[in-house]
Amino acid sequence: MSDYAGALTSQEAVIVGAELAAGHDGEAELVLRIRYPNGVVGVVLLDAEAGFALMQSCAADSLEGLTGHSWRKILEGV
Amino acid sequence: MYDIVIRNGLVVDGEGAAGIRADVAIQNGRIAAIGNLPGEARQTIDASGRVVAPGFIDPHTHFDAQLLWDGQARPALEHGVTSVIPGNCSLSLAPLRAADRQKVVGMFQQIEEMPAVAFTEKYAKWTWEGFAGYCETIAPDLAINVAPLVGHSLIRLWVMGEDSQQRAATADEITAMQVLLRQCLNEGAIGLSTSFVDVDDKARPVPSRFAEFAELDALCAVLGEDGGRMLQVVPEFYDVDITIARVDQLAELSVRHGIPTTFSPVFDSTATPTAATRILARVAEQFARGARVWPQMQTRPIDISFSLLNPSLFLARLPRWVRTLRLPLDERMAALDDAETRAVLIRDAGPDGGEATFGRLVVRGGDRAPAAYVGRRVVDIARERGQGCAEAIIDISRENGLDVAFLAANGGHHLTDRIGPMLANPLVHIGASDGGAHLSSFSTYGDTGYLFSEFVRKSGDFTLEAAVKKITADTADIWGLKDRGRLKPGYAADIVVFDADTIDRLEERPVHDVPGDGMRYIRSSTGVDVVLVNGEVAWAHGAYTDARSGAICG
Repeated sequence: MSDYAGALTSQEAVIVGAELAAGHDGEAELVLRIRYPNGVVGVVLLDAEAGFALMQSCAADSLEGLTGHSWRKILEGV
Repeated sequence: MYDIVIRNGLVVDGEGAAGIRADVAIQNGRIAAIGNLPGEARQTIDASGRVVAPGFIDPHTHFDAQLLWDGQARPALEHGVTSVIPGNCSLSLAPLRAADRQKVVGMFQQIEEMPAVAFTEKYAKWTWEGFAGYCETIAPDLAINVAPLVGHSLIRLWVMGEDSQQRAATADEITAMQVLLRQCLNEGAIGLSTSFVDVDDKARPVPSRFAEFAELDALCAVLGEDGGRMLQVVPEFYDVDITIARVDQLAELSVRHGIPTTFSPVFDSTATPTAATRILARVAEQFARGARVWPQMQTRPIDISFSLLNPSLFLARLPRWVRTLRLPLDERMAALDDAETRAVLIRDAGPDGGEATFGRLVVRGGDRAPAAYVGRRVVDIARERGQGCAEAIIDISRENGLDVAFLAANGGHHLTDRIGPMLANPLVHIGASDGGAHLSSFSTYGDTGYLFSEFVRKSGDFTLEAAVKKITADTADIWGLKDRGRLKPGYAADIVVFDADTIDRLEERPVHDVPGDGMRYIRSSTGVDVVLVNGEVAWAHGAYTDARSGAICG
């Protein structure tokens, strides 16, 4: 089972959306929507370094490519 | 005979009352009378067709260092700001032992982006250690009023030394911090600032972040001893749930010790559209139970800035650009020089040559940005150069050591129909300007002018009188500033004369006026005719004066 498919069926938090936003410091930031097993969707904010590391971990060429990956991928970049 | 009479203006008193045609007389730095005043004066200012209002108060600044060489806090004064509150976010320049100066310089470099040379003997007149010493050092040259906070990180550093960035305080250390805070309040501090977020130049949490709740509670007990002084906080603003938890914590401290509290920043983002409204809802609940927890919100939109010196998430949709920009600098330069790589990057930017992606960007500045390009759109520059937009971005950067910043305006907190009603909420405190900070990232000046141009004239969320009240009497009341923020006999003659039809901020521009030839972004004002501080003209018709009538106030 691929990481992607595994994340969708697992009982752990999953990235369900990613969007760029302007941060307080004028830097572009990555806003991730994380869906928890109980259905609640929360937001995690990443700076450039962590954001790029996440994209690399997920082998994502676009923000859409982050969708479906486990929240654990975020930890690899921070 | 009065010292000054300002005649024939529309007097807006700061309390929200409808403006009235009247004269304002000034004597000995105070407002002496308001009405039809035919008597003589040593100086007359004609305010026909203009608004006469209390000077604006900026409650969230980091002018601590700038005030050492620039007592006018340029360009804040020319925007009509007559009082500033520095020392926010746990960081002030006193109390500070000489041996710890470099440590605090590092924090200022991180937060204010100020070159280290600005803190050398040549500019900083650095002889003080105690809070009174700092106030005495800046006071003689002040053209603007300063109501300083004392930083929690400085209090902690003084008492705990290196351990301030390593552990929680002991009971004895907390007691020592209480004594020191009490002394600072007696020497001119109007309150305490703390931060749960900031880091120093080595990316270590600032000292205040190592405090346990008992320490903050004990310090707030001191704030509550003399009528209730302000606690200012930077919460974990990137997480709405933690911010709401901090609102609850501040409310507890406010009620327990009878103190006002304020936190910042709160801003709106289309990526997290419910965040600000959820925070404001919790604030309303806490006010309803008697707490004072003032959220600070800025008026200006947030712009995104990037250069090819560092990879930015702005380019996240262009993976090969990101990969190239993540190369070490020499390899990156070589890649951008390579014809094949350039062709790939330009192709990736889109069939329009990158016009949709890059065309609307503006060349913002940076140390090496060509003056002829600053402030202009990339699409216009590209056409002039006979290039596509992506190619122009790459080449302008290559030609200038990659140190050219590009600006994407209105990246967040920019939807007027959402921001206006939030700013008009009586529980929202207009602030978070950050004047004196983020020097090389963006301009933090002109938020007051933008309030009038965007939210009075354009959206109508405020009447003229309500807007003036929001940044004068309301601010003075929230912070407990005595005799300021209103046009009333007996009050300090801090006054701004402006054109309600044109007051605004001008375009952002880079200037090199920071000691050591440091660069910062500023915005000049328009529509502000005359600014008086404690009864003396500090700015008039486009020029600063020699007046040095500012004061340490509280």
